[in-house]
Amino acid sequence: MRTLIIAICGVAVAAAVLVLKGPSPEAGQASSHREAPLIAEDPSADTTDLYAFRSVDAPNSLTVIANWIPAEDPAAAPNWYRFSERARYSIKLDRNGDAKPDVTYRLRFKNREDTLFLGNTVQDYTVTRAAHGDEKVVARGVTPPNNIGPRSSPNYRQLAENAVTNLAGGGKVFAGQREDAFFADIGAIFDLVAIRKGVGNEGGGKDFFAAYAVHGIALQIPISQLDDSDHTVGVWATTERPRVKIRQYRRHGVRRFHEERQWVQVSRLGNPLINEVIIPTRLKDKWNSLSPDKDAQFEQYYREPILAAVINQLYGLGVPEKNRDDLVAVLLTGVPGLNSTGPKLADMLRVNLSIPPTATPNRLGVFGGDTAGFPNGRRLEDDVVDIAERAVAGKLKGHPAGDLLGDGVDGNDVPNLAEFPYENDPPSGFANAKGQQKP
Amino acid sequence: MRQRVLLAGVVAAIAATTLLVGGTFRGDDEGVAAPTTRQLVRAGLEEQQRARRTGEPSHYTRSERALRQALAADPNDVHALIGLASLENTRHHFREGLALARRVRYLAPDMALVHGVMGDALIELGRYEAGFRSYERMVALKPSIAAYARVGQARSLLGDNRGARRALGLALDAAVDAQTRAWAYVELGRLDRSELRFAAAARRFQQALAVAPNYPIALDALGETEAARGNLDSAIAFQRRAVELRFSPEFAGSLGDLNAVVGNRAAAQRAYARVERQERRLAENGVDTELDRAMFNLEHGIDLRGSLALARRGYARRPGVEANEVLSWALIRNGRCEEAVSYSNRALRFPDGHRYFHRAMIERCLGREAAAQRLFRKALATDPNFSPIWASYARRQLR
Repeated sequence: MRTLIIAICGVAVAAAVLVLKGPSPEAGQASSHREAPLIAEDPSADTTDLYAFRSVDAPNSLTVIANWIPAEDPAAAPNWYRFSERARYSIKLDRNGDAKPDVTYRLRFKNREDTLFLGNTVQDYTVTRAAHGDEKVVARGVTPPNNIGPRSSPNYRQLAENAVTNLAGGGKVFAGQREDAFFADIGAIFDLVAIRKGVGNEGGGKDFFAAYAVHGIALQIPISQLDDSDHTVGVWATTERPRVKIRQYRRHGVRRFHEERQWVQVSRLGNPLINEVIIPTRLKDKWNSLSPDKDAQFEQYYREPILAAVINQLYGLGVPEKNRDDLVAVLLTGVPGLNSTGPKLADMLRVNLSIPPTATPNRLGVFGGDTAGFPNGRRLEDDVVDIAERAVAGKLKGHPAGDLLGDGVDGNDVPNLAEFPYENDPPSGFANAKGQQKP
Repeated sequence: MRQRVLLAGVVAAIAATTLLVGGTFRGDDEGVAAPTTRQLVRAGLEEQQRARRTGEPSHYTRSERALRQALAADPNDVHALIGLASLENTRHHFREGLALARRVRYLAPDMALVHGVMGDALIELGRYEAGFRSYERMVALKPSIAAYARVGQARSLLGDNRGARRALGLALDAAVDAQTRAWAYVELGRLDRSELRFAAAARRFQQALAVAPNYPIALDALGETEAARGNLDSAIAFQRRAVELRFSPEFAGSLGDLNAVVGNRAAAQRAYARVERQERRLAENGVDTELDRAMFNLEHGIDLRGSLALARRGYARRPGVEANEVLSWALIRNGRCEEAVSYSNRALRFPDGHRYFHRAMIERCLGREAAAQRLFRKALATDPNFSPIWASYARRQLR
């Protein structure tokens, strides 16, 4: 029975993770996704993960990391994994609980050449900081090239270090290819066979994100620029693409195009798995286009999650289906006494800036008694798949299923870096080794 | 080879399906759907993706079976419905595609993808303005590769190649995978080709092959461009590879025509036999091929009366620009030139070399030789290689 519970919740949540991440690398191979790669619609716009935390080595700063382009195969050559030049990538921070951005860091990228036959994946970028109605370019940076291999991109650690750029007024930024710090056993869970060793929290899962890369943006911002009396900030990431019209219009007799005049937000990410687990299909495009301050209209999907109902319908586990104040608090307002931002319902990753980082993080975050981790912000080592499974199963309501669940992958396949930008260097295409078995 | 113009539509449909399936997967609601329905939908969409990759039509049948099973379990599953709508479009059942898309729009008006599928159907049914509005709704809800691709097609249909290039540039910029990039390069090359910039077009097609080696759609496009430049041997070589790599009566027809032009009758007959076999397979798997068969027969002087009947049936199903073109050509070939005029007028809303040529044939048939001469010249100026068979015929008519 225990295995079954794990299997069911695992299927539901991890299948959602699969969607979040795009096709799992394995599924991709099965259906030959190099041949038919249009499975993921817009990987250069869809945000896959967002992290926000105070780090041990820089406790006076808030570090925010957001990732795009899931499942980059380092051995794919030629390789065009890059940020989109025609998109706007933003990290937004709310300081006063109204779920509107008070500080925005916006990145625009520029390619070095128009064709990529030589594998030039270096991009120049600008960081614009918008706050108090004021916009200012605070950094001009350069991404490192993608990690092709020791001959094309030798001494990668150094290349990545050189790419860290200071922000005017304090803090730093990095943008470029990174190892995907996210970890989950997609293959086993998706197969309904569930967990490789039978019990979800004993390890033995296979990290299907091992040895795959993503494109990440990392910011380290002095807390002094963000803190206020409540100490808690809300963080989310967005991507926008230009809206275009079919016909040109004329102004003063000159033909013009409807481009970059109007931006549409096509992706947003605050708490993990909201788009995938909570928001119904028919509303996903709309939800993605909105600012979190408009989230009250989605409250019912948090309060009565479809996922809990489906689990019960299929398997009769008695997971609470209604009145999920616990989920509303964790995901929409913050937890009182931990990271509440007031009554405004909004999906943001909330970080209490007054809680110091710990050198011995617990992967289950607050569920593991570690208030410096998810849902108080999110660290790279927080096991959000296990936490989400337990949360939906009613951990906060004292439901017994809430302590059992997991996918058997408890940490990333490679160590994260001890310093900025924390996500490790991407695996090189040359030393390609994907999908490693955990001990 | 005369299927070339239709081919553009078919390729557009293929590309649209491609992008659609991509979109559907991305938004797939696997987290909350019952596993069986979810798996059926996924299987149904994967079959369409296989069909797109290989051209093999039996995947359509399998896709439909899976999607209908999913809908039996949940009649309102929007992904199954969109998948089916797109499948109907791919099979040229645009009225059915439109009806399904309307149902999804009712269930999920804020889903960008449904407006794209709806626009595809409307445009094929000749309802251009409504189709363009659907596309613009799609972009307004979610600008994406799939939406930019459709904007590009709409602009190119309107003759705005510059705007089409810009839209394709947006799609190309967003693409991170080889197939999507290759697709965009081919579309860019087609725009160059339509402007008779053959060398630039060939470079684009080669670019597509550099990112996706053996991409059959690029090989076919390259074959046609080589033929237009008079390099028949290399055209045949490219076309043969395209035919080997992908199930496509259009590709096989082009190979046959090229072989016919160089006098290799045996090879031409083999290719034409393949066209026939493949058309049959398409029909067996529910694809409406009436207009394509009519066009092939008209081009090659086969069963002209039967072709007129086919063209009329095809027109009844999808009265878009292609149906107008085929029906007017069928009427001309059957000597009913006055009747052909109104269809020709509608086809010429989106003019190309072949459509001017048809008009020239009408004018001659109606005894207006001066107008016919002018239009023969215009057809050849627009596209000196509009058809390997009829372009040389047009050239011989010039005085």
